Amino acid sequence: MIEPSVALFGDAYELVNGQLAGLLESARARYALLVDKKGFVLAHREALWAPNPPSLDSMATLIAGSAAATSALARLVGEVQFHELIQQGEDVGLYLESVSEQTLLAVVFDHEALVGKIKLFARRVVAELREILEQAAHSPAPVQLDREFSTSASALLDDLFGKDAGGSA
Amino acid sequence: MSVINFAAREINCKVVYYGPGFSGKTTNLKHVFSTVPQALRGEMVSLATEDERTLFFDFLPLELGTVQGFRTRFFLYTVPGQVFYNASRKLILRGVDGIVFVADSAPNRLRANAESMRNLRENLSEYGMSLQEIPLVIQVNKRDLPDALPLDMILQVIDPVRHYPHFEAIAGQGRGVFESLKAASKGVLERLAQPS
Repeated sequence: MIEPSVALFGDAYELVNGQLAGLLESARARYALLVDKKGFVLAHREALWAPNPPSLDSMATLIAGSAAATSALARLVGEVQFHELIQQGEDVGLYLESVSEQTLLAVVFDHEALVGKIKLFARRVVAELREILEQAAHSPAPVQLDREFSTSASALLDDLFGKDAGGSA
Repeated sequence: MSVINFAAREINCKVVYYGPGFSGKTTNLKHVFSTVPQALRGEMVSLATEDERTLFFDFLPLELGTVQGFRTRFFLYTVPGQVFYNASRKLILRGVDGIVFVADSAPNRLRANAESMRNLRENLSEYGMSLQEIPLVIQVNKRDLPDALPLDMILQVIDPVRHYPHFEAIAGQGRGVFESLKAASKGVLERLAQPS
């Protein structure tokens, strides 16, 4: 039942963050995220000059949804997958590239940034990230949460939704 | 599957609202979004067509709090109900931890309820899952319709052996919304604590 996602610990996490920060600097991008394809943010960095990012949960979910839809499209036309995706608006653009089977790199950039530069630096970083993930990413062994966890979490549910659940079986 | 991210010490559970088109899945999420305090929920994301039919999914993250050092969250999704969008439904079901099946009480939707439940079983089986292993609650919605079908008649086509807890609801007024979600969430937490 409990199936862990990719997890980054200690040095590996710092290395990924370093790569994302370097990418922002060299490509003059706003935000860089390493996202797993289930829709979770594994690591993220934002440029000092950039406005506050939107909800990262929402971004990661939409990125994962978009990647899943794109991947299904690729299979429909006979490709295993499309490796990259670029979205460009008036002011802001989004570049997505697959890093591994479970992960994606997402880069949000301004219209002033050069797309070619974004792609070039992103590809370099993807290669580095791939290596870091291969060597250091963990799939934590399934861990049993105890009854106490369930009881405590249920109490929080009561606080959030109220105590009376009603219902009939 | 619940994703336990030990680096970030997070437990994230995915609850999916399933059911036929127009049954009120998005209405459920909208009510949760408008009622839960802002600090305990994220932004609601809707991928809908111009006439507000769900095209891909709605998404709403809820923050339960910290339990035994783990930040515990529930991610709520709806699937598009229209038969046409089955590819989207399959994608959203991936990794599901709990399901709220929203049935429609309208007389002309009895068959749609049955077909949606069958579709749910089929889509789960493509991921090697079955309803035996996923907590599911049934929400029988739109009980305020003047010609609403009797509850038993609706349950007879989607859960003839009365295996799942059910709730009567008027999601547009918020009735039954939290009860259904809470029951599904508790089912998810129960499963987390069961030996695998």
